Amino acid sequence: MQLRHVFSELRIGLRRNLTMHLAVVVTLFVSLTLAGIGILVRSEAGKAVDELGNELQIRVNLCTEDDPSLRRGTANCASGEVTAAQKERIEQELDSSPEVESFEFETKQQSFDTAYEQAKRKDRGYLFEGEGAVVSVEQWPAAYWVTLESPDEADGVISAVEGLDGVASILDQRDAMKQIFGIMTVLKYGSWIGSGFLLFAALLQVANTIRLAALARRREIGIMRLVGASTLFIALPFLLEALVTAIVGVGLAAGALAAFQYWGVEQGMAERVTFLPWVGWSDYVDALIGTFPPGIVLLGPALTLIPTLLLTRKYVKV
Amino acid sequence: MIRFEKVTKRYAGPGRPALDQVTLDIDKGEFVYLVGQSGSGKSTALRLVLRELRPTTGRLYVAGKEINRMAGWKVPRLRREIGTVFQDFRLLPNKTVAENVAFAQQVIGKSHKEISKAVPATLELVGLKDKADRMPDELSGGEQQRVAVARAYVNRPMILIADEPTGNLDPQTSVGIMNLLGDINQTGTTVVMATHDHGIVDQFTKRVIELENGKVVRDEAAGSYGFQHLDNQQED
Repeated sequence: MQLRHVFSELRIGLRRNLTMHLAVVVTLFVSLTLAGIGILVRSEAGKAVDELGNELQIRVNLCTEDDPSLRRGTANCASGEVTAAQKERIEQELDSSPEVESFEFETKQQSFDTAYEQAKRKDRGYLFEGEGAVVSVEQWPAAYWVTLESPDEADGVISAVEGLDGVASILDQRDAMKQIFGIMTVLKYGSWIGSGFLLFAALLQVANTIRLAALARRREIGIMRLVGASTLFIALPFLLEALVTAIVGVGLAAGALAAFQYWGVEQGMAERVTFLPWVGWSDYVDALIGTFPPGIVLLGPALTLIPTLLLTRKYVKV
Repeated sequence: MIRFEKVTKRYAGPGRPALDQVTLDIDKGEFVYLVGQSGSGKSTALRLVLRELRPTTGRLYVAGKEINRMAGWKVPRLRREIGTVFQDFRLLPNKTVAENVAFAQQVIGKSHKEISKAVPATLELVGLKDKADRMPDELSGGEQQRVAVARAYVNRPMILIADEPTGNLDPQTSVGIMNLLGDINQTGTTVVMATHDHGIVDQFTKRVIELENGKVVRDEAAGSYGFQHLDNQQED
C-alpha cells in the first residue's frame, strides 16, 4: 500500500479542516477529562466503602482481652476475649433481625491492618509498628460488618445486639457516610452526564468534519472508486484524521487528569481529609486504560473511529 | 467481454424502465459505439457495467464475471479491469499531468517503481511526454482529454469505457482522441464509447448499438450514426 500517498492525504486533510479538527480536539479533551474524573470518583467511592463501610453498614466490635469498655463500666466484656459461644449468639441475633440484609466477619488481623493504614495516612503509623508501638493485633477487636436492608432502619438490630455478651461497641457512621457518598454520587454522575453531552457534541463534529472532507475530496474519491481503490484505502485518510484528533484529545485529557490527580487529590484532598483513603496512580492508570468503565484511551479513539467508519461508508459509498 | 442478458433497470418512481430487457454481447477487442438520444439508456448501460448500478432483473457479465450478484468488496477488483473516460475529463486540478496519471496507480497500491515506469510510457502513448509537469489548466481541452485517457489506460484495463469523450472538443481535436482510442483498441482493449457525435461515428466506422427508450433498436457491425439523426438535420 502506498503509505506516502496516505500520509500526504492525511496531512492535507488535517490542514484543510484545521478549525473543525481543533473543535473536535477541544470537545474530546474536555469530555474525556470529565469522564476520567467520573471514573476516579467511582474508584474513590469503592475505596471508601472497602475501608469504612457504606451508608448501609454498621460495625459491631467484639470484645478483646482486657477490653477498654470495661473501664467505661459496661459489663459485656467481663468474660474477656469474645468466645465462640458468644459469637454464635450474636450471629443468631443478626440472622433473625429483619433489618439486616447480610453480615460479614472481620478478623482481628484485618481490622488491625485497616486501622494501621488509616494511621499511616495521618502520619501515626509509629503507634502500630516498631519500637514505639502502643497497640498490637491482640488488642484490636474483631468485628461484624452488618449490611442493612434500609439505611434508615437500624435501631432494632442495634438495641438487640448492644447488650449481648461479647459486644464491645457498635460503630454507626451511616450519617457521615451518607453525606460523603452523596457528594461522590453527584460528582460521578455529574461528570459522566456532562461528559456524555460533550461526547455527543464531539460525535456531531466528527460527522460534520467527515461530510466537509468528503465534499472537498469528492472528485478524488470519485476517481478512486472508478479506478478500483478499495473502500479501506478510500476511508483510510478519514480514519487517520479521526485517529490523530482522538490521540491529541486523549493526550490532553490524560495530562489534565494527571494534574487533577497530583494537585487535586495528592497535594489537595489527601492532605486535608485524612480519614478517607484516596485514589492513587494505579487508579489513574485504570481511568486511562481500564476496561470497565472504559478508560479514556479506549473511549476517545472508539468514539471517533466508529462514527468515522460508519459515516465514511455513507458518504464515500463504493 | 460484456454480456447483457435481458437486463432491465428500473429507477425508483413511476415511468418506463431506463433499460428494458436489453440483451447484447460485446467481444474481447471490439470497438463499439453506443448511440441514442439523451435518456435512451446509454449512461445507465455504462454505469451498470461499472457496477455503479445494479440491474433490476436480468444478468450482466463483465470480464467473465456475473456482476449483478458480485459482493461489494469485490467491486474494486472489477473496476481495475475497466478504464473510464468522461466528457468533462475529471482531472484533479491541483496535480500535474504525471501526478494525475500516477494517482490511478497509487490508489490501487502499485509500487513506486511500477508507477515510475508505467506513467511516462503511457504519457508517451497519448503524446504528452513533454507536458508531464504541466497543470491541467495549462492544457487545451484535447490535451486534457488525452491525460484522462492516459489515466484510464495506465493500469492496462481489459475494457475502456468512454462516455461522450469528444463531447467538449472541436472536430479536429476529436479526431485525435478517436485515433488514440483506436490505438488502444488495437492493443486488444475492448472499447465501449457512448456518443452523440455523428461525424465521428460516420468517419470511424465501427459496430454501432443504438438505444431508444431503453431498448436496443439497432446493432450493426459497421454502422453509421443513424437515420433518425439525418431526419433531424433535414428539419433544421
